[in-house]
Amino acid sequence: MTREEARRLLHAYVDGELDAAKSLELEAHLAENPAARAACERLREMSAAIRDRAEYHAAPPSLAARLRASVPAAPEKAPRRAAWPGWLKPAAAFAAVALLTWGVAILSLRPGEDERIAQEVLASHVRATLGNRMFDVASSDQHAVKPWLSARLAFSPPVADVSAHGFELQGGRLDYIGGQSVAVLVYQRRQHVIDVFVWPAQAQKAQQTLARDGFNIERFALGGMSFWLVSDLNRNELGDFARLLAGHAATP
Amino acid sequence: MLPHLDAAYNLARWLTRNDHDAEDVVQEAMLRAFRFLDGLRGEAKPWLLTIVRNSCFTWLQVNRPAELAGFDDRTAELHLVDESSPEALALRQCDRRMLNEALAALSAQFREALILRELEDLSYKDIARITDVPIGTVMSRLARGRRLLAESLQAISNASQLHK
Repeated sequence: MTREEARRLLHAYVDGELDAAKSLELEAHLAENPAARAACERLREMSAAIRDRAEYHAAPPSLAARLRASVPAAPEKAPRRAAWPGWLKPAAAFAAVALLTWGVAILSLRPGEDERIAQEVLASHVRATLGNRMFDVASSDQHAVKPWLSARLAFSPPVADVSAHGFELQGGRLDYIGGQSVAVLVYQRRQHVIDVFVWPAQAQKAQQTLARDGFNIERFALGGMSFWLVSDLNRNELGDFARLLAGHAATP
Repeated sequence: MLPHLDAAYNLARWLTRNDHDAEDVVQEAMLRAFRFLDGLRGEAKPWLLTIVRNSCFTWLQVNRPAELAGFDDRTAELHLVDESSPEALALRQCDRRMLNEALAALSAQFREALILRELEDLSYKDIARITDVPIGTVMSRLARGRRLLAESLQAISNASQLHK
């Protein structure tokens, strides 16, 4: 890859918009060019700075109230109650699309132990978010979540406090993945929920990134534990989070 | 429950740069979206944001035409990343207020691309659809927007050094 081309593709790479082949080519270029690597780091910092520090303006409650009041005035001429399903239509359509792509993603998975686990953790995450039942124990205190989980499992999952990096612990729940009971730690980053599945594993495994239309998955195994992260958070930040947790797992 | 109302308001607030105007524009856009619900194809969020974005630009054209005047993508130089840039330090030192001011000072077209990408996590394809430009233009707007933001943070940082 020429230097010109690398400089042209860097933004798309940092935004996770480059296809796998081009990404590999660019990564090879970055490995050989410290200046390009530094430029890539700066772009990531810029992106992170905007995400962390730019204000997210949520709609004021008064606006939602005004909108609800105006809905019956729409030319549907429907009575107030009958007008409601109309508002729900985008949400329903969105949910249908999400479920459909999720279904397609599941079907296109190759069989095999790892893929089966990817399927199960994704299903658990989607079930929990759709059902709005994210945790059995709700607490932002690692010293409350860890003993609660340890008391109900045959192992004690490491629970990292990474709130300083903008990942807030929300709580934990139990689930059943790959034929065993596992711990699920629930973190939040802005409006994105991140499920971290943890269970004992002997072998170490380097970090690996998967994507299943709309959901990103990171996995690694370290310090006797296997970690699977699932979220609709973007790939870069979920990757950063996985590296943070790996850092904690390596030095308990 | 109004789906994607926060995303709609966030975009309108960043484009109008004013709470009151953002509320008016979003209310009008949401009612229009409701009326044209039959036009919904595919995902709801980009569809809704397209309507909100168009309402914002119509509003800007009527109320603040100067802000849209003189913007031209085509004269832009190739969107190459500058490998030797001094802004890294300014970025690390900038606080929340400085970053928000610098972002608000960008042209509306750069601002919307960055907001949709960084705060709404939308793909280039969705941003292209919402802002009605080709994907290549989205890429170059993001690249130039980030570049201009870095330069403006650098300038703010230099100015505050002078005052010390």
